[in-house]
Amino acid sequence: MPSVKDLRDRIRSLKNTQQITKAMKQVAAAKIRRAEIAQKQSRPYADALGEMLLDLMRAVTSVDHPFMKEGASGAPSGVILMTADKGLAGAFNSNVIRAGELYRADHKNAQFYTVGIKARNAVRRLGMPDHPTWVLNAPSKLEVAREVARCVTEDFVTGKIGNITLISSKFVSMLSQRPEVRKLVPIIRSEIVGTDASETPKGAVEFAPSPEFVLSQLLPKYLEFTIYSAMLETDAAFFAAQLLAMNNATDNATKLIDELTIKMNNARQAAITKELLEIVGAAEALS
Amino acid sequence: MATTMPFKLITPTKVVFDGVAELVIAVTTEGEEGILPSHAPFLAALKPGVLRANVVTEGKTERLELATAAGFLQALPDRVTALVDSAFTFEEIDVTKTREELDAATERQKTAADSAAAAREQVVIDLANAKLRLTGH
Repeated sequence: MPSVKDLRDRIRSLKNTQQITKAMKQVAAAKIRRAEIAQKQSRPYADALGEMLLDLMRAVTSVDHPFMKEGASGAPSGVILMTADKGLAGAFNSNVIRAGELYRADHKNAQFYTVGIKARNAVRRLGMPDHPTWVLNAPSKLEVAREVARCVTEDFVTGKIGNITLISSKFVSMLSQRPEVRKLVPIIRSEIVGTDASETPKGAVEFAPSPEFVLSQLLPKYLEFTIYSAMLETDAAFFAAQLLAMNNATDNATKLIDELTIKMNNARQAAITKELLEIVGAAEALS
Repeated sequence: MATTMPFKLITPTKVVFDGVAELVIAVTTEGEEGILPSHAPFLAALKPGVLRANVVTEGKTERLELATAAGFLQALPDRVTALVDSAFTFEEIDVTKTREELDAATERQKTAADSAAAAREQVVIDLANAKLRLTGH
């Protein structure tokens, strides 16, 4: 049976840990609000961009843009694996990484690009020490998204990879985040326009200089922005996961402290009883 | 006929302007384009340049001028939307810093490895030039 002193030390250390988890929980709660605001601010852009893309796709019947064509045949898949930079968020990062590993099992030789330190470390462990990588928590996420988009676009156009797939976290709710695998390129026209053939081009839209040209400018932007918004979503989802994880950790610490306190009280009482018995015993022996 | 139209200027990080305008002038890849209310549906790619608009706030017409990066302009009969990578007002532009950026980009462009890298620097140069033009330099 542990001594009273041992138990008291353990309780003290648990209380310290609890204070840390409590602080992290509050920080995550504050940061999630900021991440959500950033996400909300990017939505008007997303809506407008989507609308323009739809207009263009309807106007254009055949497009001579590399993004609209199948990639080089036989080329490996290109995968952008996106996690947070830090841990302490439950299974948040490992869920995404597992999705990446599963994808790799199906697509041999997949070329990885990683965003986020946790993803980088995981892919390095998989035996790709020098794949292109970026951190998630950069001063300008937009810059990073641009860099990533440029890098994957170059590899796609030169035929190093046959498609571009994004594996990142989807923010389902505060309590649930799950990994999501999305194919970004090639862009399938029917997926955007929809198979609904009755929807004829609305109004004759005038394009300057030509729909093909505008589309060729818009598609790279679309890729760039999709990566950017995935980064924002990963950020928000990470803090939600961390909030939950830290909340659980604080609760668990409370439970443990309660248990140990009872144990400590028992041990203290046992020691007192033992001492009393010894005194009584000794007094009886003397009389 | 309506004399004003809803106008929005949006960057990936925020909505820079959301209100009504009488006229919007932007620099497309084909040259300057002015949009009045009830314009035919129109979609164009924008070059880095100075975007001007006559906007109406509280009954008064004001001139809105911004240096914008590349983007897109969509005009529909009932509204106009400009999507740009970034937009700067007069107050947000630091002339000395912009000059430095311009010089650095010009230098990098001279030593650029390929045409793609040179084109990337050109984007920086164009935006810096637009910023300087807006501030009257």
